[in-house]
Amino acid sequence: MSASPLIEIKDLRIRFHGDDGRITYAVDSVDLSVANGATLGLVGESGCGKSVTSLAIMGLLPKQSAEISGAIRFGGFDLLTMPDQTLRDLRGNRLAMIFQEPMTSLNPSFTIGDQIIETILRHRGGSRKSARERAIELLRRVHIPSPERRIDDYPHKLSGGMRQRVMIAMALACDPRLLIADEPTTALDVTLQAQILELMRELKAASGAAIILITHDLGVVAEVCDEVAVMYAGEIVERAPVDELFSAPQHPYTVGLLGSIPRLDYRAEQLATIEGMVPNMAQPPAGCRFAARCPFVLDACTRASPPLVEVSVGHLSRCIRAPLELLVS
Amino acid sequence: MALLEVEGLVKHFVAQRSLLGRALAHVKAVDGVSFSLEAGKTLALVGESGCGKSTVSRLVLRLIEPDAGTIRFDGRDLLALDAAGLRAFRREAQIIFQDPYASLNPRMTVGQILTEPLALHDLVPPARRAERVAELLRLVGLEPRLARRYPHEFSGGQRQRIAIARALAVEPKLIICDEPVSALDVSIRSQILNLLRELQDRLGLAYIFVSHDLAVVKHIADHVAVMNLGQIVETAEADALFAAPRHPYSRALLSAIPLPQPKAKRTTVLLEGEIPSALNPPAGCRFHTRCPFVIERCRSEPPALLADSTGHATACHRTAELPSADAILPTAGGFSPALAKLVAAFSQKTEGRSPAGVGIQSAASATK
Repeated sequence: MSASPLIEIKDLRIRFHGDDGRITYAVDSVDLSVANGATLGLVGESGCGKSVTSLAIMGLLPKQSAEISGAIRFGGFDLLTMPDQTLRDLRGNRLAMIFQEPMTSLNPSFTIGDQIIETILRHRGGSRKSARERAIELLRRVHIPSPERRIDDYPHKLSGGMRQRVMIAMALACDPRLLIADEPTTALDVTLQAQILELMRELKAASGAAIILITHDLGVVAEVCDEVAVMYAGEIVERAPVDELFSAPQHPYTVGLLGSIPRLDYRAEQLATIEGMVPNMAQPPAGCRFAARCPFVLDACTRASPPLVEVSVGHLSRCIRAPLELLVS
Repeated sequence: MALLEVEGLVKHFVAQRSLLGRALAHVKAVDGVSFSLEAGKTLALVGESGCGKSTVSRLVLRLIEPDAGTIRFDGRDLLALDAAGLRAFRREAQIIFQDPYASLNPRMTVGQILTEPLALHDLVPPARRAERVAELLRLVGLEPRLARRYPHEFSGGQRQRIAIARALAVEPKLIICDEPVSALDVSIRSQILNLLRELQDRLGLAYIFVSHDLAVVKHIADHVAVMNLGQIVETAEADALFAAPRHPYSRALLSAIPLPQPKAKRTTVLLEGEIPSALNPPAGCRFHTRCPFVIERCRSEPPALLADSTGHATACHRTAELPSADAILPTAGGFSPALAKLVAAFSQKTEGRSPAGVGIQSAASATK
């Protein structure tokens, strides 16, 4: 980890207040940091809090219902206490985001050119003509064929893969320092997914931006990330360099995830399953949140919430039974 | 004899009509597809969006009518069946859909959902139906008391189990699984895949498994057919296809799947451009616009699907000249010995536990 990370999240907690007065504890004591030029994978299943964390970074959570505490430091500011106006200047500029569904995140009634130009004019100013030239250049960078013509197309005329390229072009419009990609390839076919992942690698090498990649696909993580944080029920349960996570996972949940994916390089007779269900986040369990589904559970696990501790250099686990190798040797 | 034999299946949808209702443009969703499936085996139909794999599965059930071709099921000509015959056939072939949120009626309890096929086909006398529903729920690893609940009270994985139970209610010989795990989280996905395999072993079911995910297909299929734009481009035994894929499209699909192996050494075949539209498929070989090995002949002459002596069939003019596929195949990976032990310990210890009714019941209690 570098001395001064680009973004540093400290003790982030997010709870939602429902209309009926019910409180959902979506994210709890999350610590994360990403260095310049690094890619962090944020992995977990539906409802684990990974997307909510990214929305908090972008300042996109509804103020009325979301109660956020902690700190998100980015370039000397705390994004959580920053005035809205300053945040708006950062968003789309130094901070950019790509969403899963490119159809719903583009406005259907404007051409893609209009939408990219709007971003450039808002943050960079200049003439409409020079913004248009830059938009064409951006579309070329994301490998859209004949960008001079495509720039005047409406989103519905583009295929899913093309739309995701447009979203990426828009996110890159102002050379962001941090790019958050929330399941950017989940809605795409595999051959298109491979193209988009290749494009992200290429752009990262060219721009040196940091990336937070949110995904449930461990294959995607292995291919593009440097470091991985695994989330479960609102908490980070394991954090490690990517090689370490795949070769020597230190949290039972990660072990279960790795065992449960069908693989091309290895045929398992029976896939591992993680029995049971995720806890109800209106009343998270007192101790370890994975305890009810964990085969290695001890009495101590359910008594107190385990801390995230370093098992080896840069490898953290929220499990009192780590290192897990000792369980089977 | 094969359970299912499909020969020369064609389905074109009208995409545009003139003012007078004349068809102006057709989507060639399925264009000459043939395959067969043995009882108790799994055939996977693989391909990307719009390749026609879901249309094939609906044609096989006669949920839509083909324009040409024949379908024989258990020796009967499906296309010649009258209404009564078709209803009898539906007892023997069922389907599970991708989205378990959309395929269960939200106004019916699970018990009602499972009783409906029993009543419709008059399989079980009314007095014994509740008992049979309980048996079906146990078969898919759910507790019988859940029969009184509504679909919204279940998680995605549990709903998919209910959809499977509904398909099993009529004791079919064939189940079509149309992307049954695509909408599910990874840990739930493995539960459903294990369940499907276990049910196949226990009940001798045949599956047509429609999927875009080759890793899932490798895990579950005996036989694979790769489809592109309405046609099968390669078909073989699963082991043969994964060991040595021949068609450039199969190779591209296989190499595009990200491996959960950070230092995997292999070449990814990146296809240029977009998937062409089935509205206006390219002339000649339909893959030629994206194929890295394209030659002049591919642009004009459609290749035939030709099988070698082992039954491995490929539709490519250049099958014999293509380089070896070794570079794109994943290096034998898997877990380190320590991790393999850990995963085994994880699975062993969770077996038999069934919190929240999701655990799989033992075979003895389920199939009496």
